[in-house]
Amino acid sequence: MRNVIIFVEHSSGQTRKVTFELAAEARRLADALGGKAHALVAGSGSAALAQQLQNHPLDKIFHTEDPDVDKFLLDPAVDYLEAAAKSIGPAVILVPNTMLGRDIAGRIAARLDAGLASDVTELRVENGRVQCIAPKLQGSTITTCAFKGGDYGVITIRPNAFAAHPQATGAELVPLEKPAGKSYGMMVESDVEEASGEIGLEEAAVVVSGGRGLGGPEPFETLLKPLAEAFGGAVGASRAAADAGWVPYSLQIGQTGKIVSPQLYIAVGISGAIQHKVGMQTSGTIVAINRDGTVPIGECADLLVVGDLFQIIPALTTLVKGAKTAHA
Amino acid sequence: MKIVVTVKLVPDPNAVRRIDPATKRLVRAGVETALNPFDEYAIEAALQLKERLGAETTVTIFTMAPESMKESLRKALAMGADDAVMLSDPALEGSDVSVTSYAMAQALKKTGFDLILSGALSDDGNTGGVPGALAEYLGVPGLTNVRKIEEIGDGRIKAQRETDSGYQVVSGPLPALVTVTMAVGEPRYASLKGIMGAKKKTISTLSAADCGIDRLVGSDGAKMEVVSIAAPKAREKARVVEAEDGAAGAQAILDFLRERKLV
Ligand SMILES: Cc1cc2nc3c(=O)[nH]c(=O)nc-3n(C[C@H](O)[C@H](O)[C@H](O)COP(=O)(O)OP(=O)(O)OC[C@H]3O[C@@H](n4cnc5c(N)ncnc54)[C@H](O)[C@@H]3O)c2cc1C
Ligand SMILES: Nc1ncnc2c1ncn2[C@@H]1O[C@H](COP(=O)(O)O)[C@@H](O)[C@H]1O
Repeated sequence: MRNVIIFVEHSSGQTRKVTFELAAEARRLADALGGKAHALVAGSGSAALAQQLQNHPLDKIFHTEDPDVDKFLLDPAVDYLEAAAKSIGPAVILVPNTMLGRDIAGRIAARLDAGLASDVTELRVENGRVQCIAPKLQGSTITTCAFKGGDYGVITIRPNAFAAHPQATGAELVPLEKPAGKSYGMMVESDVEEASGEIGLEEAAVVVSGGRGLGGPEPFETLLKPLAEAFGGAVGASRAAADAGWVPYSLQIGQTGKIVSPQLYIAVGISGAIQHKVGMQTSGTIVAINRDGTVPIGECADLLVVGDLFQIIPALTTLVKGAKTAHA
Repeated sequence: MKIVVTVKLVPDPNAVRRIDPATKRLVRAGVETALNPFDEYAIEAALQLKERLGAETTVTIFTMAPESMKESLRKALAMGADDAVMLSDPALEGSDVSVTSYAMAQALKKTGFDLILSGALSDDGNTGGVPGALAEYLGVPGLTNVRKIEEIGDGRIKAQRETDSGYQVVSGPLPALVTVTMAVGEPRYASLKGIMGAKKKTISTLSAADCGIDRLVGSDGAKMEVVSIAAPKAREKARVVEAEDGAAGAQAILDFLRERKLV
């Protein structure tokens, strides 16, 4: 028997969407391993979030409202995750592969002296062993890794790679005591929102991404944003656009930016350098718009429309809006 | 202030890379070794601090890698780092995140530091797990995804940390481990003088025994193993549509999305 526990990432009183994907996967793994599915949610607002999580197929939800989790960087959250994980024995720990998740994963792995499998897009249990499948080397190789020894460890999960299956299974809520004797180093003095209200790029079902072809910051606002909104999606960018200062680096997709895997990725005025492709090539459907029909993005796109983006995007936005209303 | 930059040596990001099906490790033969791109930003951040803090500040490059890769560190020295230390030992081959971080921590305890700067992610393994685990094994606080160091000195650091929706201002004591994002600034090019000077700078090596590494390391100590490797599923070739005008292009996309039930 082996238990599974997920780390719940949340901000501004909302759980990140990837949490529900982790919950569904935790359920599936726990069933295959003969254990139970747990969650940890820590920081202010956690009691309410824990209740919401009861709509997902978990057995037990640990929670704490400890304000230190928000006041100090990482350490308090890792303390609680460590305490929760230890209370359920050698467990498989699922963490989202996000900026915060990666920080947490390395720390908890060291605390528990456990292995770490990263950016996993598929999980299997074979002969009672957990197998973690992940693309490596810029997506050119798919590796299958397993934990040695006790078969427990930490796994970071790529957002959007797994489906959520909301289902209330009567999960028990368990408040946690503060772990003893810890001192915290890094204090959060202030939190500044620069892109509030926008959905997380890594979790968006549709990403509309712009590159150097947009020629400046304005078309991101006037062309890409309306199209992304029509889909209910998010705007991304190539590094060329971020380097030019047209958009913040937080929108950059690729090797040195975010890795996304939406249902639909639309690359607008992006040539598709390998460093960009590694950040988006596992997307469900890829549409590229480029005036050059020989660009490398064509190698991973499902549809390449050769034409002028400045003409196509406004027309497409109108069509998509119309299509949505027709369905509604 | 003693700054140590942890640098991973990776196969040239522009070369074709593959894994040996037998050993399930990266084939390094015939592929140039380069500094992990993210780590060049960490070096840049360190050199900016050295300029800001003056001559008392030193920048040491640290890597855990086979000794044969020694010369790949010259680029970092040419950019302006003072010296370099390698942790090299055949026993360390095949180490995973957990063992790598433990071994690096043992070596860094030996070299000493006030500030460790790391990249956020490596180009080959892309786990991003090492900096967090390293901070834990060293028992120092970690400040991750820093885009700007606002203040440093008197045993404290204050920096802007990138988040998904903006940034946080975070402060705490040194020694600490800091990871940086690309927003710290483009890595500088080495000058001709820098390149000449780098030839005379010291690259010292430590063995596992030198650092008091006393537990199983390398593939024997690793907590993870690669079970198998495979090629990714090939995508079908793109359908290419020449759009006569905006309306035609937009219609072609909408039709395609309808076909795939995406609208
Ligand atoms: C170490 C390293 C890391 C990197 N990391 C990343 C990364 O994380 N993410 C990333 O994206 N890049 C990254 N890069 C940069 C990458 O190599 C490319 O330089 C970059 O992706 C190019 O951006 P782009 O496609 O927007 O620009 P370009 O390559 O200049 O492409 C612009 C495209 O727009 C098209 N276009 C222009 N005008 C129009 C129009 N009116 N209508 C239609 N099409 C038009 C052009 O035909 C062209 O194909 C990295 C590079 C290095 C060396
Ligand atoms: N073998 C190594 N030697 C030195 N630094 C390393 C090594 N492996 C990882 N790092 C550091 O940890 C960061 C993240 O790497 P990773 O966790 O492997 O993705 C890198 O950017 C380096 O700064």
